[in-house]
Amino acid sequence: MLLTPDAELGALFKRLWDPLEVEWTVIARGRRAMEAIFNEPPDILVVDNRLPDIPSAEVAAIVKSENVYRQMPVILCLDRADLEREWNWNEIEADDFLVRPFTDREAKQRVQLTLCRSTRAMDANPLTKLPGNTSIIGRIQDLIDRRDDFALAYCDLDYFKSFNDKYGFSRGDEVLMMTARVIVNTIRGFTGVRSFVGHVGGDDFVFIVPAPIAEEACRRVVEAFDAIVPHFYDEDDRERESIVSTDRQGEVRTFPLMAISIAVVFNTGGRLQHFGEASAIAMGLKKKAKENPKSSYVLDRRTD
Amino acid sequence: MEEDLKTSAKGQILSIRDLPTLPKVLDEVSKLVQNPNTSIEAIAKVISRDQVLSAKVLKMVNSPVYGFPGRISSVQHSLVLLGFNVIRGVIISTSVFDIMSKAMQGLWEHSIGCALATGLVARKAKLKDPEEFSVCGLLHDLGKVVAAVQLPELHKAVGEAVRSQDLRWFEAEKAVLGFGHDRINAWLADYWHLPATIKEAMSSHHRPERAQFYPLHASAAHVGDFIVRVFEYGSGGDDQAVPLSEQALKILGLKLGDLDEIMDGFAENLGEVSSVTFGPEDDAPVPGKA
Repeated sequence: MLLTPDAELGALFKRLWDPLEVEWTVIARGRRAMEAIFNEPPDILVVDNRLPDIPSAEVAAIVKSENVYRQMPVILCLDRADLEREWNWNEIEADDFLVRPFTDREAKQRVQLTLCRSTRAMDANPLTKLPGNTSIIGRIQDLIDRRDDFALAYCDLDYFKSFNDKYGFSRGDEVLMMTARVIVNTIRGFTGVRSFVGHVGGDDFVFIVPAPIAEEACRRVVEAFDAIVPHFYDEDDRERESIVSTDRQGEVRTFPLMAISIAVVFNTGGRLQHFGEASAIAMGLKKKAKENPKSSYVLDRRTD
Repeated sequence: MEEDLKTSAKGQILSIRDLPTLPKVLDEVSKLVQNPNTSIEAIAKVISRDQVLSAKVLKMVNSPVYGFPGRISSVQHSLVLLGFNVIRGVIISTSVFDIMSKAMQGLWEHSIGCALATGLVARKAKLKDPEEFSVCGLLHDLGKVVAAVQLPELHKAVGEAVRSQDLRWFEAEKAVLGFGHDRINAWLADYWHLPATIKEAMSSHHRPERAQFYPLHASAAHVGDFIVRVFEYGSGGDDQAVPLSEQALKILGLKLGDLDEIMDGFAENLGEVSSVTFGPEDDAPVPGKA
């Protein structure tokens, strides 16, 4: 969506993109546009500072102050004279700006870049900065659609909750950061293969590797994780190889050290149609992997 | 945190700068890292022999950037967590000059010898993660390197005091700098966010009985230092034997007789350690009396 009283600018934006690709709605008044923005949030908002009824910074502030609209990227369109004064970007929270006069190409590339950047930033896990759900689902569906063979591994930690309960969230975050590094570096250790690591959230991670190396990848992740995780406990717990904490029912219990469980689904011969199938199979397998209190992996060897 | 450490000599300050490392080890690691089939273990083995590279790797993995400061004390774990890309970066950015062996004759050998001995002590005492104890031994004299590289004049004065007054290096440091390398070690360990276990070994290996939190680490490094000096392998700057702390043996649960066994193991393994770490292309020098 573009907010501008400048008819020429509106025409330019409409001309720059194939309407099937990006369809611009141009509105000449800022206040009137707010309702449209809230009802049908556009993928990107470009605000001209020449709007007669409201400064562009205020439009940006309104959008960015609401958590549900925050992720909408906002580009301000300024005149050179506007830059004479100081802009407090901490307060305005715009994603980028364009300064007149700009070339057609410049305007188009700026908008494309802002769109890409906001997708990346929004999806990344705030703690580990690994790609999040949108990227994970996109990647899996993409591989399925191309009928590529791949192995999809779901990892999660056993007894992470009791560790968090006893040691607190920031110590828990340390473990998640460590787990992310272990998975990323183990997978990257296989050079020359296409791979992917994502962070679903909490203690759930995903990695995708070519089917033939899946088992070796799991073995290495388990080995590295088991060697390193004891160092995240206090000395006495590490000695005892267990912690005493309160369980979900409020009862005091002894829990073993954390372990990593991995469930691997294979897509061979295009047997999967949809991302949902992959995750459903994986969830079933994960239960099996979890039956073992030690770190373990389960491979789905069905080939139907 | 204070960045620099002021000595008692006017205007003479130790400041945190990049430490030199030995080119031979660097070459070796660079080659290994370039080969995609190299195992983490193989690289860890080589890096563990270089106190400067080990310290850099540990410093990096324990920096707040990675999100778990002070948790990792093993070189092998560090490599898993940092990954090949970062390791490559550390190596490229490490300044290549062998100033250290020139700056302090014999300290290099003394350090890897101590790493070996401390690891053997830990194994004999049935301690967990003996590799972590090796690191303690490796880094126990790092403060001396830093002083030698950064304050060559004072370093020379310490050496002279050792010779003219028949002092131990540690004592001469206190006379000249106002403090010993134990203090420099603690400062380095803090600045690099090294785990408390390694810090305590570095700062208390001369007085293990006074170690506050990790007497096992300090005691193991102390006994390791003692053993490498008995063998006169390399040099910590003076040729005096360290008085062996009985308390340290007690802390480790070792008897005097156990030391014989550890020394046998030390003699056996010394060849392996020394062959890889010396000189550019020439033969390994014969280590001390061993």
